[in-house]
Amino acid sequence: MPDFSVTTCRLVGRAAIAVTAAALVLPAYSQQKADDKPAAPTPPPSWQQGRSTEQASSPLHPFAIHLTGKSAKELPVDKLKVPPGFKVEVWADSMPGARTMRLGDKGTVFVSTRQLKEVYAVVERSGTREVKTILKGLDTPNGIVFSKGTLYVAERNRIVRYDGIEDRLDSPPEPKVVVDNLDPNKAAGHFWKFLGLGPDGKLYFNIGAPGNIVMPTYMEASIMRVDPGKGVLETVALGVRNSVGFDWHPKTRELWFTNHGRDWLGDDSPHDTLHRVARKGEHHGYPFCHQGDTPDPEYGKNRSCSEFTAPALKLGAHVAPIGMRFYSGKMFPAEYQNNIFIALRGSWNRTIKQGYNVTRVSFDANGKPKMEPFLTGFLLDDKADPPMWGRPNDVMVMRDGSLLVSDDHNGIIYRVSYSKK
Amino acid sequence: MSKDRRPARPGAAALLAVAPLLLLAAGAAGAADPQACAACHGPAGNSIDPAIPSLAGQPAQFISTALFLYRQSSRKDPQMTPVAASLSNAEMNELAAFFSKQKPAAPSRRTAPENAAAGKRLAEKYHCVQCHGPALMGLQHIPRLAGQQFEYLRTQLRGFKAQTRADLDGNMTSAAQPLSDKDIEVLADYLAGLAAQ
Repeated sequence: MPDFSVTTCRLVGRAAIAVTAAALVLPAYSQQKADDKPAAPTPPPSWQQGRSTEQASSPLHPFAIHLTGKSAKELPVDKLKVPPGFKVEVWADSMPGARTMRLGDKGTVFVSTRQLKEVYAVVERSGTREVKTILKGLDTPNGIVFSKGTLYVAERNRIVRYDGIEDRLDSPPEPKVVVDNLDPNKAAGHFWKFLGLGPDGKLYFNIGAPGNIVMPTYMEASIMRVDPGKGVLETVALGVRNSVGFDWHPKTRELWFTNHGRDWLGDDSPHDTLHRVARKGEHHGYPFCHQGDTPDPEYGKNRSCSEFTAPALKLGAHVAPIGMRFYSGKMFPAEYQNNIFIALRGSWNRTIKQGYNVTRVSFDANGKPKMEPFLTGFLLDDKADPPMWGRPNDVMVMRDGSLLVSDDHNGIIYRVSYSKK
Repeated sequence: MSKDRRPARPGAAALLAVAPLLLLAAGAAGAADPQACAACHGPAGNSIDPAIPSLAGQPAQFISTALFLYRQSSRKDPQMTPVAASLSNAEMNELAAFFSKQKPAAPSRRTAPENAAAGKRLAEKYHCVQCHGPALMGLQHIPRLAGQQFEYLRTQLRGFKAQTRADLDGNMTSAAQPLSDKDIEVLADYLAGLAAQ
């Protein structure tokens, strides 16, 4: 679980959860009357949940983002590397916590956040790029989708729509609720949502597992979809610990998604994974089986990995794949058509760090996927704390075929372009 | 000092002296004046008030994160809330960078002899050293505890134990639960007297 900002594990009373839930998503705390309140016992934060006794003094810890952002000028962006013929540059900064990117009909780039409460818009006017904060005070607005003039935002507990927003970025309309009550258990863990628009016109979103390694309850550890016109929910995939990135193959129109494996099973186990949804409603293993072939030491005892759908590709242990998009732009060389770019935001739960790059997944003649690093240079010292200066979070193909990459650690968006020479 | 009362804040005279500087800081975009902070947090951010934390030598990300939490009202304080409200992200980063580069002064408090070894044991037993580092100097968003002011440390630990102190990720709320009042007293006394390394 390479993401940060989770609090308690769920195996405690409601009271404990309520008072210890992330400060960033709750109204203000007061320091008054500190001595008057009885303190309910709390378990370790959920990122520590599932640690063995021997791991209790492990120095491994998730990394916190710069909540005030970092200027690209202060950072070693010259260390970024792309393959020959490609070029990488800073596209925009000053967007603390920049996560998911979506393109508006009129060229606006909408940018979500997770640990902040904002949605940004980047607009270009006569050659200058301007960053605006268009929505404020949202609850974990990680998932966004733009379609036919409407911006959909998946907050922690609901999906809302802002119609006609691109024409009124400075005075956005009031949100209308598409579907509510998507956080029925209000548990700590993976409560932020990714949002995608399927070729069927339905909105797809994840509901993450409420801890590192716990038995999910109703609706948890799944990918679901909702028809925005009707509000009817359907389960698309089960046994998905936490998927914060998915996209549809441009040709087959099948859904593919990235998934975060559990922590504290060792430096090289299990892998985070890439999955293909061949049939709706399949179970992808969590919490019983990891990476398609590794039974969980606790939950896997009475189950077999053969019961579950195996991943299409193992991406590396703890590398934290977030955003992924198929490439169908016109700028990159032909062999990049229908490849997948995946932003790897980790690792932290590993002695020697790896990941922290944008990875390219291509397919051979038999459709077998293979991966190779595409944009690297964020990871400077794999033994240092912190090992990296930036963290790729999402990727998005622009209309000209260039690739934008968001970095929520610093609040920066980079642009990768290609030219034949 | 009374156990249940919040520690005394600087007197009216000090606040009056601060006010114009704060206004200055708010007015000049991108040029927050560290001197405005120094009025309460001490010269170069080395506090001489047991209730006010030292900023000198704190990790920059800890300072910018604290300012951010004050600005969005996750942390609240009569003095800090209005100060943070007027600061931009760039100003917060500038202040954080400035104070992170200042040299921590020698601790102004001497740990009671009976608390030195006991405090060290508690800091290990309750995993303080695991996140704050073996010398308790902090890193990234995690603060330096060595040489921090006694009252400030005690107030924070009590707040985390009572689950009323804003917590970025739940770690401190969780870590403070098993602490007794006596543990908090001993830990704060030990940490406040510990020289920064």
